[in-house]
Amino acid sequence: MIEGKLVNLRAREMTDVERMTRWINDREVTRFMGGAYPWSSEAEEAFVRTTASAPMTFGDLRFAIDTKDGVHIGGCGLHRASPENRDAELGIMIGEKAYWSKGYGSDAVATLVRFAFEEMNLNRVELHVYDFNERGQAAYRKCGFVEEGRMRQAHFSEGKYGDVVVMAVLRDEWVS
Amino acid sequence: MIEGKLVNLRAGEMADLDRNFRWMNDREVTEHLAMRYPISLSAEEVWMREGTAKPMAFGSHVFFAIDTKDGVHIGNISFHAMSPEHRKARLGVVIGDKGYWAKGYGTDAMLTFLRFAFDEMNFHRIDLTVDADNPRAIACYRKCGFVEEARMRQTLFMRGAYKDQFVMGVLRDEFYSLHGATQAREEVAR
Repeated sequence: MIEGKLVNLRAREMTDVERMTRWINDREVTRFMGGAYPWSSEAEEAFVRTTASAPMTFGDLRFAIDTKDGVHIGGCGLHRASPENRDAELGIMIGEKAYWSKGYGSDAVATLVRFAFEEMNLNRVELHVYDFNERGQAAYRKCGFVEEGRMRQAHFSEGKYGDVVVMAVLRDEWVS
Repeated sequence: MIEGKLVNLRAGEMADLDRNFRWMNDREVTEHLAMRYPISLSAEEVWMREGTAKPMAFGSHVFFAIDTKDGVHIGNISFHAMSPEHRKARLGVVIGDKGYWAKGYGTDAMLTFLRFAFDEMNFHRIDLTVDADNPRAIACYRKCGFVEEARMRQTLFMRGAYKDQFVMGVLRDEFYSLHGATQAREEVAR
């Protein structure tokens, strides 16, 4: 378990499937994540099983986010980590909407970035965020991410194209 | 076959294996392909067999060999990460035969492939990543209509140092206004 200030990050368990199925079918949650198609509980179970049934590895880390009271509120991960380039892509979702805008997501990101630099010895953590997700961008900025650019009209949802913002934090910046 | 001005684009064939193997082991060619390990002939063969055994299809495999008009195979060009919803893809290109560098073949292959992307595959956006220290490629992509959208800092470690990459993208409208929209046949006839 990896301890933050407000949350802990732990390995996923099959007992998380029911909540994760609910979140992945909640359009208010997924509109920030891409993927407009509904998921069956069987598909979600198969997906969770592939990660929950094996130890995490450098190239693909997927965590459940728990509050300090043990309430499972979301998930986060580091994907496509490159051992040579020492970078990875960060993804996060707070599925329990009652926990939005209260610092839990920011704490999960800060905890994950610390883990990336201090335990995995990464040099760069990158993420992609939709232009309309201003709450997400503010949280990432707070954690040290800077906007490196915008992939124009790289995303289509809700009837229109939008930009995808590329953000990243380097180890030196994070340390200072 | 898709015809450009200097090159034709055709499906990759197993007969291309020896050339692809040679190019993928040429450090001058792979320097800007983010490749660092040598690849064996049998690994290259397995990879090519997967690609050539099936017809090309949106989303799975869109890979063309680049031939000169004389039929000399000089490189390859392909799409990855194709999304039918966002109507976008990531482009990869290599001119492996160094005798054909800096002579307009790469640019013509790009323009031909982009027109195919927008006219036939109905893409809305094509993007690519390019090393910030590869000015020849950046100039070629700009000529095709790509613009630098993001500078990813220290995203690659090669030859003893971290280096930056640009994300460059081109939208269909931009490509058409720069290089002309393909006119419908009836209009051309009139």
